[in-house]
Amino acid sequence: MRTKSLAQSLPLIAPVHMLILSVIVIPSAFVVWLSVTKSTFGQDPSFVGLENYIRVLSDPAFRRALWNTIVIVVCAVHIELAVGLLVALLFASGLWFRRFLLVAVLAPYAVSEVIAVVMWRFLFDPDAGPITLALKALGLPILDWSFEPTHAMVLIALLTIWLHLPFTFIILYAARLAIPSDLYEAARIDGATPFQAFRRVTFPLLGPAVMVALLFRYIFAFRIFSEVWLLTGGGPARSTEVVAVYLYQEAFSYNAFGSAAATAWIMVAASLVLASGYVFLLRKQVTGNAH
Amino acid sequence: MRTKRLSIGLGKTLAVAALLFWSLFPIAFIVMSSLKPGQEIFAVPPAYLFTPTFENYASLWNRWGSFFDGLLNSTIVTAGATALAVSASTCAGYVYSRNAGRFLNASVVFLIVVRLIPPIVVTLPLFPIINAMGLNDTHIVLIVLYATFFVSLGAILMRTFIDQIPRELDEAAQIDGAKPLTILLRVIVPLAAPGILAVAVFVVVFSWNEFLFAFIFTATKAKTTPLVISEMIGSIDGVDWGILFAASTVQLAPVLLFVVLMNRYLVAGLTAGATKG
Repeated sequence: MRTKSLAQSLPLIAPVHMLILSVIVIPSAFVVWLSVTKSTFGQDPSFVGLENYIRVLSDPAFRRALWNTIVIVVCAVHIELAVGLLVALLFASGLWFRRFLLVAVLAPYAVSEVIAVVMWRFLFDPDAGPITLALKALGLPILDWSFEPTHAMVLIALLTIWLHLPFTFIILYAARLAIPSDLYEAARIDGATPFQAFRRVTFPLLGPAVMVALLFRYIFAFRIFSEVWLLTGGGPARSTEVVAVYLYQEAFSYNAFGSAAATAWIMVAASLVLASGYVFLLRKQVTGNAH
Repeated sequence: MRTKRLSIGLGKTLAVAALLFWSLFPIAFIVMSSLKPGQEIFAVPPAYLFTPTFENYASLWNRWGSFFDGLLNSTIVTAGATALAVSASTCAGYVYSRNAGRFLNASVVFLIVVRLIPPIVVTLPLFPIINAMGLNDTHIVLIVLYATFFVSLGAILMRTFIDQIPRELDEAAQIDGAKPLTILLRVIVPLAAPGILAVAVFVVVFSWNEFLFAFIFTATKAKTTPLVISEMIGSIDGVDWGILFAASTVQLAPVLLFVVLMNRYLVAGLTAGATKG
């Protein structure tokens, strides 16, 4: 019976696995091989060991790209989490037209990175952008993003937060709604202030959802490509490159497939480290609760 | 007490106003600007009252024929990728929901781990292979790539949704002698429609908006809308912002409407996907 059901289920799970094996797993394994060889178009590859990894890790352009990526991930994701949490609590506190507001908050989810770049580029246009004009009118500093790398990074972070807030918000809001309201009633009867209720009830129970949202956003923010590529192209003078843009440049502008492949595996390794850190924390939490 | 409640109400109203501004102003601004006559787009201060005109849309039609080819390509690729991802995910999700065992559990873990690989990684080996196969710049490449990057999430989502369908239903069909594929199509699919829609929302939004793969694997024939729009930004010195806003509005409108209509399934999918996958 068991073998029969396995034989019957194999054809049904085969398409998913064939797609993943042929498009993701085998090519990624091939990238490992590329990363330890030296090759360009039309040349036979030769084995060079870890040379590509050493070259990438000691390349100042890569270090700059890695630093930029980490800054974007750390700043954008945490601000996004804080804002997402506030919005989730605002929704949970009871709002009029909640469905309409929910859809409004979700709207940026539908916007492609390309269109988001068009929007934000124009909003912050140094001459005519409505936000620039508003900042000027208020006497505040403006974002000179096409010349100042730091300003460009701020704009990229804003854009990232705008695009992904819907995701973070939904995860946190769903988790907040899953907290039984009896707990708040009990806290109220015990004389807890709203702040105490937040600290003792909401915050601990939202913990797992916060972890999930953070993990997903760390992993996905680390891959950031289109926003940077379309806004600054990594310039001026490679100062706003992120790891994925560095990878693209190495492979498709400089034909250095070996170092591009090494960069690719550094990216995969970073994702794995983040994910295993998450699993470790979850385990600790589970055993912590058991004690 | 009353002033306190009043100030809380006021604070909430302000917060909601700020939130609406943050989420909707950028979208509203480009839609509005697409309807402005050329000289008013750069008016200082920005004009919020003006006579709407479709001249930007007319110039888009006259000067960027490739944009409309892009819309057609995007439609084909989105439809293909969605059909492929949804059907593959539903089949796998059904198996995962109804069967257990070491082999199947291992393959679920495999699906989760695979999601850690960034899409840009596979472009390196696929680029020469796809060129060698003569598949560069075709719809099929994008369809397969887009579907593949969603089948792992899709299969796990479908398992979660199919778990909610009582097993007695397919057991009854089994006793009547129905084959697994028949049970899947006749019993499961109609009841799992919300899950199928949730997976479809993810794939449709992703395929319609994706830039990186389209940028690397297409050139002229299969070019999708985001790529055409990126070329409009690329020619920024001579860029006609009016045309760019019109093109952005046309690209955005259908997918925004889709997300608005499907918001329930999107929320269900995001929640289930994050907690189970």
